[in-house]
Parts: sequence; C-alpha cells; structure tokens
Amino acid sequence: MAGKIKQMIDSIINQRAKDNPMLVGVIKSKLMLKGIDPGKFTASSDDDPAIIAKLEAVMKDLK
Amino acid sequence: MYIKTAYSTKGTSDDVIQDLKSQLGGFDTKMLVFFASSRFAPNIISQKVQDAFPGAAVFGCTTSGEIVTGKMLKNSLVAMAFDATAVNDVKVEIVENPKNENSVRKAFAGFESYFKAPMSELDPSKYVGLIFVDGLSGAEEKLIDKIGDLTNVTFIGGSAGDDLKFEATHVYANGKSYTNAAILAVLKPGVPFAFIKTQSFCDLGKKLVVTKANEEKREVIEFNDKPAAHAYAEALGVAVEEAPNRFMHNPVGLVIDGTPFVRSPQRIKGDNMIFYCGVTEGMELSILESTDIIDDTRKALEQAKKDLGGISGIININCILRTLELDQKQLTDEYGKLFADVPTVGFSSYGEQYIGHINQTATMLVFK
Repeated sequence: MAGKIKQMIDSIINQRAKDNPMLVGVIKSKLMLKGIDPGKFTASSDDDPAIIAKLEAVMKDLK
Repeated sequence: MYIKTAYSTKGTSDDVIQDLKSQLGGFDTKMLVFFASSRFAPNIISQKVQDAFPGAAVFGCTTSGEIVTGKMLKNSLVAMAFDATAVNDVKVEIVENPKNENSVRKAFAGFESYFKAPMSELDPSKYVGLIFVDGLSGAEEKLIDKIGDLTNVTFIGGSAGDDLKFEATHVYANGKSYTNAAILAVLKPGVPFAFIKTQSFCDLGKKLVVTKANEEKREVIEFNDKPAAHAYAEALGVAVEEAPNRFMHNPVGLVIDGTPFVRSPQRIKGDNMIFYCGVTEGMELSILESTDIIDDTRKALEQAKKDLGGISGIININCILRTLELDQKQLTDEYGKLFADVPTVGFSSYGEQYIGHINQTATMLVFK
C-alpha cells in the first residue's frame, strides 16, 4: 500500500489549521520536530508503520 | 505604563522582597513573573514573593543568571508585573511528572474549565501560553510535543537553571516550588503580542541524517549510517578527538523554512553523541556555524518593534550557552544594553521552548 501517510498529514493540517496559513506553517513545523517532514511524502510514498503510528497518535488528540 | 519591571541584588530574601515591593509600590499587579538565582531557598522565595503580591498570579523559576532592562545579572531576583490592561486574564497550572502525558491533559482540563472552552478551540491570536520547566527533568520534548498536539495556542518559555551546578532546578507557582514539574500559564493579553525566536547561526549546507538514535536518552548512534561522532567530525573536517571543541561553535539544526531549530551536542559517548535536546530518527539535520549574537538579536528586536509598532515589555529566555559565549567574548554588557529601552525580564536557561524544545536560542514573548 502507498499514500496513506500523505493522506493523514493532509487531514491533520486541514483539521488543525482550518485554512489559516500561519497555522499551516506551525503545524508543519510541529510534524517536522516529530521527525515527519510533510514535504517528503507523496501519494506514492510507502506506508511506513512507524510513521503511521506517530500520525495516528496526533489524530487521536484531534477527536 | 501597564508593564513594570523590578530587580534586586540584595543579600537576604527579606531584603529582596522589600526591594521588590518598594519598586512596584502603587502598581496594580494582576500577574507577576519572576526569575531567581538558585542561591535563594526555592520554597521560601516562592512563598515570600506570593505573599508580597497576594492578589496576583505569581510564577517563575530558578536561573543560571538573570536579565532585566538593560542588564545581565547574577545572584539576583528579577520580576515583571502586569496590570489588568496588559493581561486581561490568566490561569496557571502545575504539571507534575511532565513526562506523563496524562499530567498535561489534567493541566489542560484546568484551563478548559477556567476559560470555558476546549484548548483545541482557543484562538491563538488572542491567547498565549508561557512554559517554565524543571531544566534537569529531561521532559521538555514530550511536554511541548503533547502541548502542541492539544492546542494551537503558542507556548513559549524555557527550562529552569541552577547557576551551572546541575544539581536541582525549580519552578515556582502559587507560593510553592516544584521539581520534576512544569508551570504552564495561559494568558489573555489585553495588548497585541508577538514572538521572537532568535539564534545566531548560519547553515553550512552539510547534512547529517539521524539514521539510528536512542530518542529517550537524547543520543544519536548513527548519522548517515556511520557512527555519529565520526560522521559529525568528518563533516567538519576534524579528528573525532577535536569534535567536542567545536560543539558550541558548530551545533546542528533542523532547518524549517530557512530557520534552524538548534540541537546542541553535549558530549561524545563511545562513538555516539549525546545532545541537550531530542533528536529523532529520520530527522535531517544541518551543520551550523555561529554568527554574531549581538547583531542578530538587535535585528530581531528591531523587526519585532516594527511589526508591533512599539514594545512595552519583553520576557527573554536566553540559552545558558549563549550567555557563556557572551561571557567569553566579554559582550554581556552589550547584550544587556540591547534591552535598555524596553521593560525586560528574563533568565539564562537550560533549554528553550517555542513550538518544540530547542537549544542555543533566545525565545521571547513581546508585548506591544
């Protein structure tokens, strides 16, 4: 499977930033400090389970 | 004037308190942030400062040197008082055992109950967070990471110091002192505010990717699939034995939008490298080289002044490694004078927080 990480990153940014460009930048920075560089993932990136687990933890806090 | 500073270098805690009270006499203090040398008994000084300002939210931490308008000090106590015009509302929470994410949730529940809104919905343009952490807890990364997951409100602050003894650091709130803890304060300022994150480094364009790390211990085992110390020394073109002499001048940084989030090496252990803050597998770090702290800080202050249209107060958390570099270069007076025109309070810290946990940086909350 591929592309799940980009989907999750996009979902987190959309839900948290709500189209506020300043917040988009901050949320991307927070992800980079977790070791996840949003710019490195595309729709064809492999589904790395370790990164998916980190993103799932972030998504849990959105609920 | 809705923000006022005071400081004291007097000998006893009673004399210091009297000095503070006389300098802030007649000022209607709603919130008081203070930073005190570790020479003061933490429980006693915290209680006495709270007793001196009974109606105010009072919090702060121990230091490795203090900063006040125009000066860098040692063995002193510095304080910044805010009236209700500067800070409309404030709620302080204590996070004990900050590595436990449930402790953060508990503190956030306190904020939510007080402000009657979920922290995830609080408007980051109207609210701001201050954070002061036990500087020897090693908990900063987890704490600021969890905070960042739970809210869009920006938390800015630093890690308490203890005058370079590395024995015990304390945070203060509500007349008590705490170790293995953090103080979180959510403020609703009545005036516009901004942030300064300034570090004096340029990117040398040499990349070190963390390929193996023990994240809990802030330890990098491999950079670029090579033993960490060897890869770092090789990137600088020096022998491994020479590498520790380059740590202060050449830390590494996670560069985001052209700005480094600095991670400072502490020591070499075998072939591994221990850092003063967290490094994560997969992180692409750049080798940095130090530039001019005075010039860079001056520019950051000028920019903030321009953006806000004036500054009425600054809380400045300045990394102890920057203070040591200023000391070595005999530039502490010059650094202090950068803040001569603006009410300023701050301290030399064992780490700084802004979005993440960082090193060799000054993080500042600036009020118009």
